[in-house]
Amino acid sequence: MKLEILPWLILFLPLVAAGWITLFTLRNQKLSVGLSIGAVVTGFVLSVLFVAVNPLTPAPQELSLNWLSIGEFQVQFGLRLDPLSLLMMLVVTGVAGVIHIYSWGYMRGDRGISRYFACLSLFTFSMLGIVLANNFLQLFIFWELVGVSSYLLIGFWYEKPAAADAGKKAFITNRLGDFGFILGILTVWAALGSLNFGVLAEKLGANREALGGAATLAGLLIFCGAVGKSAQFPLHVWLPDAMEGPTPVSALIHAATMVAAGVYMLCRVFFLLNAGALEIIAWIGGFTALISALMAIQQNDIKRILAYSTLSQLGYMVMAVGLHGPTPAMFHLTTHAFFKALLFLGAGSVIIACHHEQDIWKMGGLGRKMPVTFWTFLAGTLALAGVWPLSGFFSKDAILAEAFERHHYALFALGVMVALLTTFYMFRLVFVVFFRPARAEPAGHAVESPQVMLWPLRILATLSIVGGVISLDHYYRLQFEPAAVGAALSWTAQLTHPFAHAPVPAAFGLAAALAGFACAWLLYRRADVDPLPARLGPVARAMRDRFYFDELYQATVIRAHDFIATIADWADRWLIAGLVVRGTHGTTELIGRALRLVQTGNLQTYAFLFALGVAFVLWWVLG
Amino acid sequence: MIPVNYLDLLRLAAPETVVLAGALVVLGVDLLALREVETGLRRLLLLILGAVTCGAAIAWMAAFPNLGNFMQGMLVVTPLTQWVKGGVLALAILTLLLSGGASFTNHWGEYVALLLLSAVGLMFLVSSESLLVIFIALELASLSLYILAAFHHDAPESAEAALKYFLFGSVSAGFMLFGLSLLYGLSGSIDLREIAAALGGPFLDPLLAVAMVTVAVGLGFKIAAAPFHLWAPDVYQAAPPPSAAFIASASKLASFFVLAKVLSVGMGGLEGRAVFGDYLPGWVPLLAALAAASLLWGNLAAIVQTNVRRLIAYSAIAHAGYMLLGIMGGKAGLPALVYYAMTYGFTTLGAFGVASLVRDRVGGDNLSDFAGLSRREPWMAFCMLVFMLSLAGIPPLAGFFGKFYLFAAALKTSSLDLLWLVILAIGMSAVSLYYYLQVLKQIYVVPPPSGLAAAPIPSLPKTVIILAALTVIVLGCAPNLLLRVLAAP
Repeated sequence: MKLEILPWLILFLPLVAAGWITLFTLRNQKLSVGLSIGAVVTGFVLSVLFVAVNPLTPAPQELSLNWLSIGEFQVQFGLRLDPLSLLMMLVVTGVAGVIHIYSWGYMRGDRGISRYFACLSLFTFSMLGIVLANNFLQLFIFWELVGVSSYLLIGFWYEKPAAADAGKKAFITNRLGDFGFILGILTVWAALGSLNFGVLAEKLGANREALGGAATLAGLLIFCGAVGKSAQFPLHVWLPDAMEGPTPVSALIHAATMVAAGVYMLCRVFFLLNAGALEIIAWIGGFTALISALMAIQQNDIKRILAYSTLSQLGYMVMAVGLHGPTPAMFHLTTHAFFKALLFLGAGSVIIACHHEQDIWKMGGLGRKMPVTFWTFLAGTLALAGVWPLSGFFSKDAILAEAFERHHYALFALGVMVALLTTFYMFRLVFVVFFRPARAEPAGHAVESPQVMLWPLRILATLSIVGGVISLDHYYRLQFEPAAVGAALSWTAQLTHPFAHAPVPAAFGLAAALAGFACAWLLYRRADVDPLPARLGPVARAMRDRFYFDELYQATVIRAHDFIATIADWADRWLIAGLVVRGTHGTTELIGRALRLVQTGNLQTYAFLFALGVAFVLWWVLG
Repeated sequence: MIPVNYLDLLRLAAPETVVLAGALVVLGVDLLALREVETGLRRLLLLILGAVTCGAAIAWMAAFPNLGNFMQGMLVVTPLTQWVKGGVLALAILTLLLSGGASFTNHWGEYVALLLLSAVGLMFLVSSESLLVIFIALELASLSLYILAAFHHDAPESAEAALKYFLFGSVSAGFMLFGLSLLYGLSGSIDLREIAAALGGPFLDPLLAVAMVTVAVGLGFKIAAAPFHLWAPDVYQAAPPPSAAFIASASKLASFFVLAKVLSVGMGGLEGRAVFGDYLPGWVPLLAALAAASLLWGNLAAIVQTNVRRLIAYSAIAHAGYMLLGIMGGKAGLPALVYYAMTYGFTTLGAFGVASLVRDRVGGDNLSDFAGLSRREPWMAFCMLVFMLSLAGIPPLAGFFGKFYLFAAALKTSSLDLLWLVILAIGMSAVSLYYYLQVLKQIYVVPPPSGLAAAPIPSLPKTVIILAALTVIVLGCAPNLLLRVLAAP
């Protein structure tokens, strides 16, 4: 390993920036912005440098130091460097860097911009910590830090009640998943006696049955963490609400990084998951993908459509993991990070142009007025829809091929269905927002955004277009299937590879995209009001109201919780605060006052007490 | 007559020699060169000279790590003693710099020299395993500390406190000497290892019990364990703050180390057993009784204090109780004990520093004088927050891991015999949070009194306090930095 200092620098630079901004430069906005952007961009440059001098090889490397030792139990603070973490490090610093720069334009003029960038840096640090962690405990700590920083960012406009509530909702829902996650970590530790990924992989490699009967349970408990963070059913409800945060935040944490952390974690500990757990994981992923794609069809808020789309794509990735395919999952995660960040940033550009209007039915005709935003947004849409030769096609095809090859035809059909729906709702969005004349006043005066926001769009658009043919899957395969990996294909060979390798899924994928586009074209090309509610009636309403999950939780979980809280409140007020605390406090204070009387300041008293003490101790030892 | 190799002696005692020479140089320079210099500058020069001396001793230990055993335990230098001595010297440096800006005396030459001399005493105390040298070193350190406590030339309380400290000290020194002579009489040796070999098995002779108790009384006084703590509140409150800080930090560190050494090396095999309700006489039940008394007395009496320095004194008594647990943890508990005593030293020194700054500004260091400190001095308020929370044992500060390792060591070596005491200690930690939060409440919640003139605070003490807070945070976040080297064989 050359330049071993670099990963440490890359990890800690954003933390230094966050700390420095919070402590010293909150009042100096320019400096705060510069520090935060500088830290992450430097991190990206250093990541590129590090990967350039240390070519990716299947053999993992570890840099670690002992952090705590409690008896036999050693907690390391270490970095695990393998193709998975290094590529993810590049993605996180790269995408985060672009979004940092975009934020500079988007948040211009906001009073709290220094605080915003401090939180953004803290978030980047936490995310990098998850990516580089070499053991479960460290991963969990950074996992929680991601939770905290996302809470801060979602609730950034805390004076808006909706934003504050969304922050809390995200945090609490995540905590629910994390409870299972920590139980899973403890199960693994109890069974295998280590938390280090390398050691665990070795132990399980030596003996597949090392986890014994707890294997499925441990796998599912760990999956709970991913259910929370990657917003899978039934904990998916926080993500759409999290759109209350600033749009770049949505792009960063609800498209490219935080929600990806769950999938990343599953791939990181893929060796732990047995067939039973994977089957359930695959079905939960597939189900999430389907219901959220259906919900996306009837949303009218531009960011919420993207949010449900994110849910749906995350479901895809989780399904891929469940189908024994961490390679396609990570491949899709990476391309999705590019095009979904692009779509969110494009949506942000639209929102700013329409003076913070987010209802797509009040937009229209923006294609001409905002050409760069339009063309880049279109590139993102095509990538997400899985149109050849854009990146999304290759990664989605890899997942469909995985299902097909494993003869999991039910999930394969589900995946094709979701692909159709994806194209449909995305083109619905594009037609309504960018075509037809403007439907409301602000959209009529829209102008193109400043260059500081357009360059990030151009960069991400380029990545979304070529992301499928830059050998990403090859590098991920180095991690997960080192034995089966051949030489990297040239980009031209990669262009045609899916058709040669697995023609059926590729054909189905393209047909689904085409069908989705055709439906959208028929229904929304000339629409000024949504035609679907009239045609579908209650079904459309159920989709719009998100299948009533929030209401269901409100009526059951939250009601029950409030009931318990009322009882706890009573017990706290009367039993604990009243009887126990007041009682103890009174008693101890009384004793304290009595003891105080002893301290007279009189030397004779002291001497007497001293002698008494000696006598007492002597009696104690002799007697 | 054993031939004495003076070169060996010098090599092993080099750090002490450096500090001793420094003390003499300070006196000489003060007398010959600085008589006519203006007080502020003179104070600064002398303090820096003292600090440089201690720094030189630390550098010497780092550069020439001579280890060895000179003349059968007369001087035993191991990596651990080097670290403890380094801790004593570091605390001495901080104490010296903390005095910059203080105005309780004009005799700075004597002040610095005495501080260095007491540091020399503490260093010898740490690195000797011979009863005679231990006693002499203890007296050297104590006599210097008595004078340091009386250094507030125009405050009668300071003299009164010093006199109490002195009278108590001499009585307990008498007890200790009595115990040491009994030990010598019973074993025929003054070397701790030979004593342990001569005393042999677990049977406890009544005479030996008396020796054990009197030695524990003598050192129990130094560490302010109940019921031999009565001097502490008066001295902590009335002595000049830097002196009190030194008494509470460095002196405590060295005394704990020597108590652990005397008991676990000199009386190894006489531990006894302290299962609740089923005692076997020995020094573990003895310490358990002292620890329980200290925990209860210190924490409960601290609740009703209205003066912050007095409050810290009672908290110090309580902390003596926690640290006694580490001694009962035996050899394995020693790194945990030293870690705790060191970090506690930095914490309490910093707390005394803040109290002294408040006293200089407001004119007193009662709880009410801290009202609104966060608005006047946000940095000092934050440091005090760190110190108080660390004392209360809140993660991720050093105090939390210190307590954690102490408790773990006590439980581990005694196979849960001491569970009752650990439970008591944990319960008392919860109680202690109450009075530490009282201080923080004054600092952060209560509004400041009006009409307080703004005055700059001297930068030297401020730096020391921030440094101490930083140490507490860093050692809390990465306890292994220190623990690893302490636990190294």
